[in-house]
Amino acid sequence: MRRNARSLIFVIILVALSLAFLLVNPIKIGGFERGGDAVLGLNLGLDLQGGSHLVYQAQPVVDPNTGLVKVPTADDMAGLVRLIEERVNASGLGEPNIQVLGDDRLLVQLPGIQDLERAKKLIGETARLEFKHRKINIAEDLEASGVIVPGDVLAVSAGPLPQELIDLFNQTPAPVPGVEQVPVEPREAEDFPPVVIVDFTPDGAQKFAEVLDSIQFTQAQLLGEVPPSSIELSIEDDQTPSSEVLRYTVIGPIVQQVGITNSFVFPFPQGDSDTAPDGPINLATAEATMAGASTVSFVRLAGSVDEDFGLSGDNLTRAYPTLHSGSDRPIINLEFDQEGTKLFGELTTEIAGSPNDRIAIFLDDRELIAPVVTQAITSGTAIIQGNDFTIEETRDISLQLEGGRLPVPIELVQERDVDAILGADSLQKSVVAGMVGLALVFLFMILYYRVPGVVASVALMAYAILVLASFKLLGVTLTLSGVAAAILSIGMAVDANVLIFERMKDELRNGRTLSSAINLGFNRAWPAIRDSNVSTLITCGILFYFSNQLGTTIVQGFAVTLAIGVLISMFSAIFISRTILRVLASTGLSRHLGVFVPSGGSDLPQQRANAAEAQRS
Amino acid sequence: MDFVGKRHWFFLFSLLVILPGVVFLVISPGLKPGIDFTGGSTLTLGFSNTVTQTQVRNEITLLGYPEASVQSFGENTFFIRSRELSEADKNTIVTSMEEKLSQDGVDLLSFDLVSPVIAQETILNGVYAVLAATVGIFVFLWWAFRSVPSPFRYGIAAIVALLHDTIIVIGVFAILGNLLDIEVNTMFLIAILTVIGYSVNDTIVVFDRLRENIINYPNREFSDNVNVSISETLGRSLNTSLTLMVTLLALFLFGGATIQNFLLVLLIGVVAGTYSSIGIASQVLVAWEAGDFGRLLRRGGSTNRSTASA
Repeated sequence: MRRNARSLIFVIILVALSLAFLLVNPIKIGGFERGGDAVLGLNLGLDLQGGSHLVYQAQPVVDPNTGLVKVPTADDMAGLVRLIEERVNASGLGEPNIQVLGDDRLLVQLPGIQDLERAKKLIGETARLEFKHRKINIAEDLEASGVIVPGDVLAVSAGPLPQELIDLFNQTPAPVPGVEQVPVEPREAEDFPPVVIVDFTPDGAQKFAEVLDSIQFTQAQLLGEVPPSSIELSIEDDQTPSSEVLRYTVIGPIVQQVGITNSFVFPFPQGDSDTAPDGPINLATAEATMAGASTVSFVRLAGSVDEDFGLSGDNLTRAYPTLHSGSDRPIINLEFDQEGTKLFGELTTEIAGSPNDRIAIFLDDRELIAPVVTQAITSGTAIIQGNDFTIEETRDISLQLEGGRLPVPIELVQERDVDAILGADSLQKSVVAGMVGLALVFLFMILYYRVPGVVASVALMAYAILVLASFKLLGVTLTLSGVAAAILSIGMAVDANVLIFERMKDELRNGRTLSSAINLGFNRAWPAIRDSNVSTLITCGILFYFSNQLGTTIVQGFAVTLAIGVLISMFSAIFISRTILRVLASTGLSRHLGVFVPSGGSDLPQQRANAAEAQRS
Repeated sequence: MDFVGKRHWFFLFSLLVILPGVVFLVISPGLKPGIDFTGGSTLTLGFSNTVTQTQVRNEITLLGYPEASVQSFGENTFFIRSRELSEADKNTIVTSMEEKLSQDGVDLLSFDLVSPVIAQETILNGVYAVLAATVGIFVFLWWAFRSVPSPFRYGIAAIVALLHDTIIVIGVFAILGNLLDIEVNTMFLIAILTVIGYSVNDTIVVFDRLRENIINYPNREFSDNVNVSISETLGRSLNTSLTLMVTLLALFLFGGATIQNFLLVLLIGVVAGTYSSIGIASQVLVAWEAGDFGRLLRRGGSTNRSTASA
């Protein structure tokens, strides 16, 4: 009897302590810290409080010198975690939670993140800073350099636009997001101005295609910062040496290859002021002009060429944002290390004052600026000015530059964003659903099993408190799936109680006394409770193992929550319910055996019940 | 009540329940995989102004996503599924919707992106997880019932029951996928594993009673012991299922749309699991003991019911 009382006191103290542990926030004992803004100081998952869950895949890198593929190592992954943590923490975007998944994946969780776009930029960019020496307007005679020799060209003539290209231009363009599709009005050959057609040998055509590729527009050219790359044709009449028929320049992208043939077409130069001022000339004029033309030679006019001179972001010692003293625009200040100072000094000395040389600065292949150097800079400092830099951007880029670049590039492979409003809504609904569920279970248990039902309800309440306290103690992150698991484990807890009470009822019908029926009921029900819960725990273990592979915190949350729930449900059914029942059995309530069985006791053997009563008194 | 004698009726009933689902699974597209299994993006948009599904549908097509699907997800809230979206694509969609349909604002309530690589792995790992759980449970049962003759059969019978329940749930979702466009995702996978756990849980309770009865009444016919065990655990089985279903129903009704499909799987699974522990798991044991399966094989599939159930 005293043992039961002691157990009861133990249960009461345990539950009271758990309750206190839940209600007091925050809790700080040495290095142990729990509690925050969330309800009861529990750790809420992103689906309940809002935020972003990003999974990145580290990419293998191909070494440009050896051609070998380098797979991301554990060191790379650790470096990634450290760098991203630094970047996000210093940006003031909130505290990220970063962990490595498997060998080459990274889970970045950003609770309550407001500016996700900025965060993703900050995290995902490798911050590879490059400096290039840009040379502008370089002409290269392709014949002199041996790229296109006279033997490569078969014929040159004027003519209408070939049918292949007409068909191509008549095609309706592929749909572009946000732009309404307009069908193209079909046009005939007469609708197009005449062209110069150059037939190459197969070999020559291939070489010329490569030349065209090399003069496609760069970003700087599209923006008009440097002159466009182009090609100069000079067409001559073989019969009358050094008599030039035509010499003109076209920009690279408008030269077209005719289907898969070896011919290329060049737009005919605009007509002269007499015949058709500024307009295209007609076919007859074109053909007349080209009569006798037999050879063509090309000069490649590279708008600009970027040359590496050995300086990169690795040569930085510092990077910090400020406002430009003159224009008040946000800029990034760079300080180079010794080698960087030397390289930068040498180049700026060489090109100072030259209008045809620039220093182009790229960040992750995006050109930031390409200024003209007015005077040599040997102090080892520089500033970067973007066209549209915001203060935040300069701060983020500085962070990325100073922290060093990511050891390996990463790519976003999974994203899960939940708005804070939706999270709060889910949390509220879960709490309501949990309450309603518990209330219904209490109602059922009390109506059907009577006194044991009340006991089970008390045990279930204790169970709920213990489960929540364990979540807090172990720092379990509560997700929506976890809530589902927790409520499912209530079902398991009920099941354990039902199993015991059914057994107890059988034993009472067999004429046992109340206290021996309680003991037998628990002992007989135990193997079933144990085995069924072990099988659930096996499932939890497997889920937990695969949650890493599945890369989802949903699965993990579910498995952990269910496992804790199952373990505590066993404790609650076996220890808490039993203790309370035993204590009740030692009170006057044991005289009314009917309240311990569903039917009200009509099926109990009467004399035995009386005997039990006699025994007790 | 004679449960054991009616085992063929139980088997027939299960077959009739399973059949439509299997038909849907095989002949039509079957289960409708969500982005977790195919890759792609989903957005949940909450509109401040009143907007119809057709308007959202048209707008998303105009934006260049004719393949996107739009589902209503409550009042002025829509769930859009499309191919993989970049950060820029996502912002374009939200701002265009705002400009064209809802001047008072559009909330991006949730956004999901899964790359095809991850999706492939998820399918693979999901299959592994289900297989691992099945094997783990089988081995555990074999071990847990080592005190009775042929413990191996208990493991097999439990696996048959859990496969039965899994097929029923998958079948129902194949039908729902066809009729209501309900998709399956990672949560569905978890739900299936939970159903497996519950199904075994329930089966074990019956088997545990059987284990006890076999030890206490070794001279009783095996089929009688099974019958008594089912009768004795019937009250418990029904009570537990009922309480669990009540809790799940409460969650289903009040828990919000996010986990409704998950709960639907559990609800179906609990019913199937309760039924299968009585009508399948235990009956497989009896049929095995009575040699029904051998007879079935010898007769090339044509069973004589009157002799079999005698």
